[in-house]
Amino acid sequence: MVRFKNRYVLCEVISEDSRCRQCIEDRALGLAVRDAIARVHGDYGLACCSISFTVKYLNAYTGTVLLRCRKDSYRLLCSALPFVRSLESRAQRYSCFLNTLHVGGTIRTCQKFLIQYNRTQLLRLLQNCTNEEERQCVQKSLLSCSLTEEQSQSGDEEEED
Amino acid sequence: AAAFERRVLRRAAEHHYLRVRLELPDGGARPNAAQFKQLVVTALRELHGEVGAALPVDVLTYEEKTLSAILRVISSGFVKLWSALTLLGFYQNRRCAFRVLQTSPFLLALSGNSRELVL
Repeated sequence: MVRFKNRYVLCEVISEDSRCRQCIEDRALGLAVRDAIARVHGDYGLACCSISFTVKYLNAYTGTVLLRCRKDSYRLLCSALPFVRSLESRAQRYSCFLNTLHVGGTIRTCQKFLIQYNRTQLLRLLQNCTNEEERQCVQKSLLSCSLTEEQSQSGDEEEED
Repeated sequence: AAAFERRVLRRAAEHHYLRVRLELPDGGARPNAAQFKQLVVTALRELHGEVGAALPVDVLTYEEKTLSAILRVISSGFVKLWSALTLLGFYQNRRCAFRVLQTSPFLLALSGNSRELVL
């Protein structure tokens, strides 16, 4: 009848340090976010947001993070994300910031958005390619993610004939 | 005869006023006005963080002898202020407590208190 509704916040970790992305862990990121909420919203905000707070998904290669919280306190969480300035892991502090990409009600909607977003990011990467082998790599991955649509189109044409 | 008209405005006042008294059971040095305001802002910062500490709170009057004051706060931050005052326990490592005597959206209403009427 009445169920607990969650909000899933999709963010991207952006850092000038190239080693930062390889070293991010879900526990360190969770601690950094909770610390930022405690600073910005105090004890009450921390307790509110920690009820159902976890780092659901973390991709170290692309820096994609999916956080979960209760629907009643997602605004507290989203307003505290710009105050995450550094991540600490293995006694090293890396300065970084989180870019909020999407807020969804389920993991499935966030995944659909992420697939769409990655497609546009690949196109942008293709434009910014510097050398030839990078260009070949990006073109191959672009073709692989859009190849299924072409096959279905060619199938339709054959049926019309 | 003029038609009777009644207007009800909900949440129209922009400020709320509180008359509070600080209880310090041990007889030590009393805070002055600036330290009192610092105490209120510290209470807000502990419970509601930087967002709470940035609430526009004013100490309109303060009496050092009785440690009682009149605070003014913007109406949207009224609940945050009262909850922060309730949960404050220590002033310079001394036990303390805030008692809220009267609150009203109008300052004039704080001038009279029917609880202290001598009949």
